Order: sequence, then structure tokens, then C-alpha cells
Amino acid sequence: MNTEIEGNRWHELRLAGQLTSDYSGFFRLCRQRARQLKELDIRRRKYIRLALLGSANTDFLADMLEFSLDIHGIGCEIIEAPFNTYAYQMLNADSLVAKFRPDVAVFVGAALNQPEWPDINTPDEEVEIMAGRVAGYWLDLCRALHDNTGCEIVFDNFSQLSWKPNGNLSARHAADHNNYLTRINCLIGRNAPPYLHINDVAWMSSYHGVSNWFDTRYWHHAKLPVSFGCIVPYVRNISGIIAALYGGSRKVLVLDLDNTLWGGVVGDDGVDSIRIGHGSPEGEAFLYFQRYILQLKNRGVLLAVCSKNDDSGARAPFTDHPEMILGLDDFACFVANWEPKPDNLVTIAEQLNLGLDSFVFVDDNPAERELMRRQLPDVLTIELGDDPAGFPAQIDEQSPFEVVSLSREDAMRTNQYRENQLRESLRTAVSSYNDYLVSLEQRAIIRCFDESRLDRITQLINKTNQFNLTTRRKTRAEVERLMQDEKYLSVYIQLADRFGDNGVIAVVFGCWGDDCLEVDDWLMSCRVLKRDIEKLTCNYLAEQVARKGRRYIYGNYIPTDRNGMVVDHYPDLGFEQVRKHENGETRWRLDVATYVPAVHSIAIEES
Amino acid sequence: MNEMQHDDVLKKLNSIFQEVLGNEEIELRDETTAADIEEWDSLTNIRILVQIEQDFNISFSSAEIADIPNVGELVRLIVARIN
Repeated sequence: MNTEIEGNRWHELRLAGQLTSDYSGFFRLCRQRARQLKELDIRRRKYIRLALLGSANTDFLADMLEFSLDIHGIGCEIIEAPFNTYAYQMLNADSLVAKFRPDVAVFVGAALNQPEWPDINTPDEEVEIMAGRVAGYWLDLCRALHDNTGCEIVFDNFSQLSWKPNGNLSARHAADHNNYLTRINCLIGRNAPPYLHINDVAWMSSYHGVSNWFDTRYWHHAKLPVSFGCIVPYVRNISGIIAALYGGSRKVLVLDLDNTLWGGVVGDDGVDSIRIGHGSPEGEAFLYFQRYILQLKNRGVLLAVCSKNDDSGARAPFTDHPEMILGLDDFACFVANWEPKPDNLVTIAEQLNLGLDSFVFVDDNPAERELMRRQLPDVLTIELGDDPAGFPAQIDEQSPFEVVSLSREDAMRTNQYRENQLRESLRTAVSSYNDYLVSLEQRAIIRCFDESRLDRITQLINKTNQFNLTTRRKTRAEVERLMQDEKYLSVYIQLADRFGDNGVIAVVFGCWGDDCLEVDDWLMSCRVLKRDIEKLTCNYLAEQVARKGRRYIYGNYIPTDRNGMVVDHYPDLGFEQVRKHENGETRWRLDVATYVPAVHSIAIEES
Repeated sequence: MNEMQHDDVLKKLNSIFQEVLGNEEIELRDETTAADIEEWDSLTNIRILVQIEQDFNISFSSAEIADIPNVGELVRLIVARIN
């Protein structure tokens, strides 16, 4: 009972932290967190070592970052480099920061600190070369730090300056300093390696206004990189990127319909009278909100409807209203009924096979939001204003769908979930599950890690919670090292069937021992559960082990609160138990010499 | 200077100091300086100034930010800005 109350207190503090954007309010919450640290039941799924460094003052950021990362379930130990020692810290393998061995370094930059500036007479071609040199300077420093420590780097790009000595000629002349900064930003963005994650200060400062973002007085006084008025969005953006690095990005946007996607109540007003589209400011605002949502969907965010309506009435605008942007095809899941929304959201989570912390809930009705927050605190409920014109920005503020890279699979995701529903309907049509699997006409490709799939492999390693034997998260750089390491067998599996291509859906990697393969982790996307992929994988591993002249495969199961579904993964495949820890961890062994390959119906196209 | 205004500002300032420095025992007087309050250093000074700017809806100049000899001067500065 007691722990529940404390848990709720953290939920309240976390919620307040999500909703507060003004500096003094946020700082008060930071204080409260620090004061009550021992009593609060903060659930953290990851601990990281974080280094703060840069060409500006980082003194005010540490407390706020700690709190903001806690909101994402990430605990951190922070080291701050002394002011303006960044070059030393990044270039030397025995610097304070390098020796700290950070998982993540946050580089706090400032537009005014460039190593070179053109003057207005510098010819365009020379400015071009200079900007290339300066972008190279920042990228080289980051590469050195990464080489020295293996850390991921969050790097501020540069805001515009608060002055324009060249007036409106700025846009015409490459040598103008604002023009020059834009050029440097583009070059850094285009050439950023996978371990470098740009904190888009250029966009944030233009959104808030450069004169609000950057307080020249406090820059001169104490080299503050960002004004106190904008420090919360700044910190929030950094922690959003770090959370995304460790699999914290959310996956599904759950939308109410009436007065959220269109103006009016379709059940009362009828399809013809709802306000969506050109002709009224409100209708246009909803139109742009739908366009925004479609862009989220196109980069891999799943959409779902959760509405209090009759099902047919709720679907009517999507099929019958000419100005709707979103169509029924865009949704992975559509629930319209009169049940309480938290119950429906749980149903949606089950249907999509995702945890509640993958969901973002958007509803114009404050009572529904309150109920959702109370009953399902792990769902991120967005605080919406009254005006649809503000909805996109209100979602953006929480950066719930931040990702560190886009993969081919992201763009295909909604289709894959929809194909899954078609597969489900096939399943009810055929008599036995085996017949069903045969009828799917599955085809697999098994390959060693390769460069083209590294982003997706990294994503799968970091996002998979349920079918994951040891939940060992890895950064892209670490995955790349696995790929190159000859002592490792690291493979991925790609699966297609008659309904479409699932892309990369399983990953397994392990280390070669004298007489065995020691499996480090084995994981699979929940979209393809119970499709015999694990049998196929096990056969493949046994084959490789025999070919290498080894005898055994060893594997461990480390329980988490999410991976209960694979507790019997190894025994089901014929492994025998060799150890069991008190904490529930188990160790298993397969003797390849006596292994009889499992029967399955997947055709292997390439291995 | 109006005495009333001086006292009101000092009172409000006192609660800002208490809040920002996290110390409810602070009692400011005109002659109080940074040396008298342990938590008042160059960093917390910035937090205090930002909070004052926000709460009184005023803006200090670069020179003023750098040089605040004691609380009395700070109060005089705020009162002048408000008027």
C-alpha cells in the first residue's frame, strides 16, 4: 500500500514536469525531486553516464537534465567539464570526460563561438570552403571524443544571431554571419555520423524567436547558451533525444475524433456539418493537424482511433467527407464504442502487442485526459489547448516520437500492422494453425549484420522488450563493432510472406568459445510471434556451430517485467537447463551433436 | 524613495531569496551582501536576478547584472525600475 502511494507521488511529479515549461516552476519541481529522492519510487529502465561539455556555460543544466531524464525513466550520473575546456576534453584520451567513460556526451554550443568568420568582402567560394572547414572542426572534435570513449554525442547546432548588420542583404551573401551559420548547420547535418545526434537549436530558437532564445546580457555575464525563458524546452529536447537513444520513443498516437480531428460532433451534426477543410479557420486548423498526423504516420508512427461513438458513425467522415486528409487505411487500429477510454486503450495495446508506455493519447476533452492520466499513467496524455491550431505544437513539445534515425521499416510500419490483421483473418479461415502457417508462404533471409541494416538492427535491439532473452541494449557504434568482430556470430533475419514484407524481424548474436557458441542476446519483433522463426533460427545456429566444429550452444534468460513470454524459449527448443539463479535468471545448453532440427514451414531464400 | 515601496520590495525579495536559495531562514537587510549568505554565489546570483526580472517584470542592464554590492542597492534598483 505504502509503495503505491509513493509511486503515485512520483507519477504526480512526473506529470507536473511534463506540463511545466516555465523556468521557475520547473526548477521548483527539480528541487522537490532532489529533496524527496529517497522517498520517491522513480522507476528507471536504464542508467547512463552523462558528460556535459561545450563552448558555453553548462552550470544550470545538470539538475534539470536529471529530472527531465527521470521523466523518461532514465537515471544518470553527470560529470561537468570545466567551462570551455571542450577541445581538450574531446581530443585527449586521458581527459576528465574521456576517463569518465560517458555513455552520452551533451555538447552545449553557442553560435558566437565559431573558430573562423568571413568578412563581408570574402568571396562566396571562399566562404563555402571556410564553412566546410568549420563544420569539419566540430565534426572532427566529435569524432575524436567518440573514438576515445565510444560515447553517443548530442550536439547543439547553431541559432541565428540577434543582430543583422547587413540588413536584408543577409539572405543574398554567403559571407553574412547569419547566412554563414545556416551553411555550417547544413554541412554538419549532412555529414553527421550515426553516433552524432543533432539537438536542433536552429529550429527551436527560430520557433521561440532568437531574441527570446538568447539573452545577450546573460551571455556576456556568464556565457549562458540559452535564456532562462527557453531553458526548459532546451533541456526537454536534449532528454527526448537521449530517451530515443535508449529505446524510449513512443510508437502509437491514439486519437479521439470529435473536436480532435474535426470540429463538431459527427453523431449529432452529421458528416456534412463537421468542420474540416477550407472555408473556415477552424476547419483549416483541423486540416493542418491531420496533415501533421499523416507526416508522423509516414515516418513510422502508428495511428489508432479511440472514440466514444457508434462504430459506423465514427467511420463515416473518413469515407464520406471529401476534405478529410486521413483515411481509414492510415490507422493500425480503430476503436469506437461507449466503453471507458482507458479500457479501450488497453485493448488497443493488446491488439498491437505493445506496452502502455508506447502510447500517446490525444483528446480535446479534459475529463477524458484526466481519467487516462489517473488510470494509465504510463500512457503519455498530451495537454491540449482549446484551439486546434495549437495541437501540433502541443504534441511536439513533449517530443514523444523522437527517433535517432529512420529505417526502411519505419515507413512501412502501418502496412505491416494492417497486413497482420489480414493474417489474423486468414487464421480464422483455415482449420489448423499449421495449415495457417503453411498458407502464409513465409520466406526468410538470414544474414550476418551488414552496413545497410545497421540502423534497423540497432532499433530492434533497443526497442524490443517482450521477445528478448537478455535485453542487452546497444548503441549503433556497439552494433557496428559486433558486425566487425570475428569472434562473434551476429545475424539478422528478414521475413516476407504472401501479405507483404516484414523487413528485419529477428536478431541474434553470440560469441564463439572453444567448444561452443555463447548466445549474448536473442530477440524478435512482436509482430511475428508464433511463426516458427525461433525454430528456423535455432536450426541455423546449430548448423553454424556444427560447421565451426563446436559442440554446444549456451544461452541465458534474464527476466525483466516485460519478457515473461520467453521464459520457456530455450526448453521449448530442446535446450537443457544448466543453472538457475535465485533472481530467476536461467542458463541453458543445447548439444548440437544430438540436436534434431525443428520442423517448420518457412522457406529459406538465402543464408 | 517611498518607504512603503522599499519595504514591500524587500519583503518580496526576501521570499525570492528563500525560494531560489532553498533556505527559509534567510532574512535580508539593506546591508546584507553575498558574503553574508552561504548559498549566494555567482551562479545562484544569476538565478536570483532572473527570478527578480520575472517576478517584478523588469529588466536589468548588463552593467547592473555584474555589480550588485548589497541588498539595499538591489532594492533601490528595483524600485527605480518599477517607477
